[in-house]
Amino acid sequence: MTTADLILQQLINGVSLGAMYALLALGFTLVYGILELINFSHFNIFMVGSFVALMTLDAFGLKGQTVVLTGLPLAGVLLVAFLVTMVATGVLGVGIERFLLRRVRHVKGPAAMITTIGVSYILLNVVLLTTGADAKNFPNPLPAVHYDIGGAVLRLREILIWIIAFVLMGGLSYFVNRTRLGKAMRATAQDPDAARMMGIEVDRVIMTAFFVGSALAGAGGLIFGLYYNFTSASVGFVAGLRAFTAAVLGGIGNVPGAMVGGLIIGLIEASGGQLIATAWTDVVIFSILVLVLVFRPSGLFGRMAPNKS
Amino acid sequence: MVTAALNALGRPFAGIAPERRKFITLVLLTVVMLAFPIVHDNDGDIDSMANAMSYATLALGLNIVVGFAGLLDLGYAAFFAIGAYYYGILTSFQVMPEWSSFWQPFAALGLVEKMNQGGPDLVHFTLSFWLALPTAALVAAFFGVLFGAPTLRLRGDYLAIVTLGFGEIVPIVARNKSDWTNGAAGLNGVQAPRLFGWSFGVDATPYYYVGFAMVVLLIFISIRLRDSRIGRAWMAIREDETAAAAMGVNLVRFKLLAFAIGAAFAGMTGVFFVAKLQTATPEMFGFPVSTMILVMVVFGGMGSVWGVVLGAAVLQLLQSWFLKDLTQWINAFGDLVGSAWLRQVDLVQSIELIFGIILVVMMLFRREGLIPAMAKAPPLNMAAQTANVQRGGFTGLERIGRWQPAGGNALEVKGVTVKFGGLVALNAVDLVVPDGGVVAVIGPNGSGKSTLFNVITGLVHSDGGSIRFHGAELLGLAPHEILEAGVARTFQNIRLFPNLTVLQNVMIGEHARLHAGPVASVLRLPGTRREEAGARAWALDIIGLFGNRLTPRIDQIVSGLSYANRRRVEIARAIATRPKILLLDEPTAGMNPAETLELAEQIKSLHELGLTILLIEHKLDVVTRLAQNVIVLDHGEKIAEGLPDDVRRDEAVLTAYLGRTAQAAHAGVANG
Repeated sequence: MTTADLILQQLINGVSLGAMYALLALGFTLVYGILELINFSHFNIFMVGSFVALMTLDAFGLKGQTVVLTGLPLAGVLLVAFLVTMVATGVLGVGIERFLLRRVRHVKGPAAMITTIGVSYILLNVVLLTTGADAKNFPNPLPAVHYDIGGAVLRLREILIWIIAFVLMGGLSYFVNRTRLGKAMRATAQDPDAARMMGIEVDRVIMTAFFVGSALAGAGGLIFGLYYNFTSASVGFVAGLRAFTAAVLGGIGNVPGAMVGGLIIGLIEASGGQLIATAWTDVVIFSILVLVLVFRPSGLFGRMAPNKS
Repeated sequence: MVTAALNALGRPFAGIAPERRKFITLVLLTVVMLAFPIVHDNDGDIDSMANAMSYATLALGLNIVVGFAGLLDLGYAAFFAIGAYYYGILTSFQVMPEWSSFWQPFAALGLVEKMNQGGPDLVHFTLSFWLALPTAALVAAFFGVLFGAPTLRLRGDYLAIVTLGFGEIVPIVARNKSDWTNGAAGLNGVQAPRLFGWSFGVDATPYYYVGFAMVVLLIFISIRLRDSRIGRAWMAIREDETAAAAMGVNLVRFKLLAFAIGAAFAGMTGVFFVAKLQTATPEMFGFPVSTMILVMVVFGGMGSVWGVVLGAAVLQLLQSWFLKDLTQWINAFGDLVGSAWLRQVDLVQSIELIFGIILVVMMLFRREGLIPAMAKAPPLNMAAQTANVQRGGFTGLERIGRWQPAGGNALEVKGVTVKFGGLVALNAVDLVVPDGGVVAVIGPNGSGKSTLFNVITGLVHSDGGSIRFHGAELLGLAPHEILEAGVARTFQNIRLFPNLTVLQNVMIGEHARLHAGPVASVLRLPGTRREEAGARAWALDIIGLFGNRLTPRIDQIVSGLSYANRRRVEIARAIATRPKILLLDEPTAGMNPAETLELAEQIKSLHELGLTILLIEHKLDVVTRLAQNVIVLDHGEKIAEGLPDDVRRDEAVLTAYLGRTAQAAHAGVANG
């Protein structure tokens, strides 16, 4: 491979990873935008999503990498898998909000954040105790179609991931910017009290944010499985921290910012293996997190969260 | 229910004075702890206790950062790792540079040895455990400052995520830098501590006693710091950063101090832990460890010294004793009923699940932890609760001395402009407060009055102008420096430290006038003891100015006080700073007419003592009663200035307050 091919290949990989991180980052941003809360349970909602996806695909008889589908069956199975995963993680997110976080949301100080750390731990260990710590083989039902662009390879997998991410993010943008509930969400993010006085049901808006954010994390979990062909109980932590970096990089609370931030982090991870040793990639990513928070806490594109003090 | 049971247990001892009871409990506890390894000769159990002690010291350290200073640190284990690798590398055979004469003096001090394993002479580090303990504390404290410094400006939740990032970076570095740390395989051959030539080896008992000594020492340090100027400054930061800065607390210094001391505790523990385990791997210091320590602190009670020790002990012993036994019982029960699932249950494996549940349950139902940091003050009786309106100003003023106005101007504000984005909140405002005088600032809501106070006290930045206080420029100084110069303030919407007592709030006001540093606070030598006693006496004198409004309530948490009493505490806190000028932002807001009159006369009596006062007030009768000069602001501009009675009849003022058309109709009413 020439250098140009190498760069192109890492660009292809990076955009795919970036799409996944962006989906995950959106959940952080939606919740932070409204509650000013770093939701640590989001890390492992993503992980649970990848397991729900694994079980759904298993239920279709897809085990390991042996069964390959094409055409309508493939589209149908993937559609069902995404729907089931997203609804499951969405409901999980809403449950966490409704039954746990709602009780501590108004407490001053770190109580709400510590609660989300606890929830994250519970999710992680429930999965760990029921399935074990070892990595699970994730089905790969996609046919091995690929296009050669120079020396770089563009596989069907990547194209599919791009399309799905594009559709989901487009849908989210439409929802936030064009629908009545999306408008209510933007208003609540600016000022929950004023929004409440204008007749917006703030609790419903918050639940919607948790549902949408968690559903996107579930989709991210499925994409993780399709991309890496494995999942394990421990994937949530590192992916979550990277996605949080993406959200901060784009300006937390800022929906388009989270998408671009995700893309940047994906590109860094993909090129990290090439330019610096893979072992140090996370040091680079976490250093970016620290540097952005210290020197430009509003991120590259500006915070959209209100300044509640 | 727990409280009721404890009360029932304590009843036979009710006759003993509380101080004495506490002392007896401590002595008994110490005797039990010292006798444990002798009485209970089981190496495994003693080892579990020694581990529990190292977690207790970690919890004590994190408690300083999270519990006292309110800085949520999710990467605390990083400092534990730094201490561990510091001792591990300097006593093992991992890093062995070539011998040169450079090492000669270190060899003479016994820090290194010359070694030959065939080939060139090599250096073998032989740092003594006893020397490593204090030096690891210093090294970790250094890293605490290094990691803390860039993060201090961040808001609480961002701080949490940055510390999490640092907490991840340290184990990754340890894993990747394998020529120093032997990577994931772990350091080998870490030396056991030696005492007078005798090696601790692998027997748990000596580690138990060292661990116990460390716990005792760190409890002592924690309590001494908590009950000092240092601890009060930390708690002020935890409760309200802005108010803490306005009361003279140097935020940067005290946050870094909390980070450094917390890190020092972890560094020491790292040395102890590695010496005991005689190995170190990166996995020992990851996010799960940081979380576990946080769980211990949350479980025991954030900010509660005995609470976090209890939390660490309970959780560690739960893990190593109780869960093992419980697992065996459940498995046996599974055998009995023939359930394969029950036979296989291993609760020790689910310890992290239990940690998660503890975090959630504590946050939802008992946020103050097992042993709350703040004890509830007993309710007041009727007599103490009844306060009559006091006329004629403060009583007991003779105890707080007099101010000696030097003449001239105390405060000179010239051309000060403040912009928020496109909005001009203050436009070239001029203002003079003569030394010993009372000046009032009035104006409609949103006219820039509070912004004026904020710019004088350094809470907002100005876009031009100058503010001179007794000739020295205030613009550009940090809020705590402005307080040190003698400018104290209250806030329009009351910014007390809500979870602290009346006395603590007022004593935090004295922060800038006291000098005890961390070392002096821990040693509490006679000088420091005198300073503390004096600080307490001064606070009580000032609280006493308000008659029996506050004095019976000194040990009550301020968030439970009435609105008017909270205003009084805030004024007391400002007077406690020994100000040269007092800035009062709507001091009588929300008070009824009788209380308003009482407070107005009290402020007047302070003025008569010679204190300079700048006042924002809406109630014109208060302004007329107190002020010698009135400044009127509207839309950030000064529209009038003069004697109270003249200002009340000023055209521009009437227009600003009542609007142009209303002015004609209500011209005669405005003097109400």
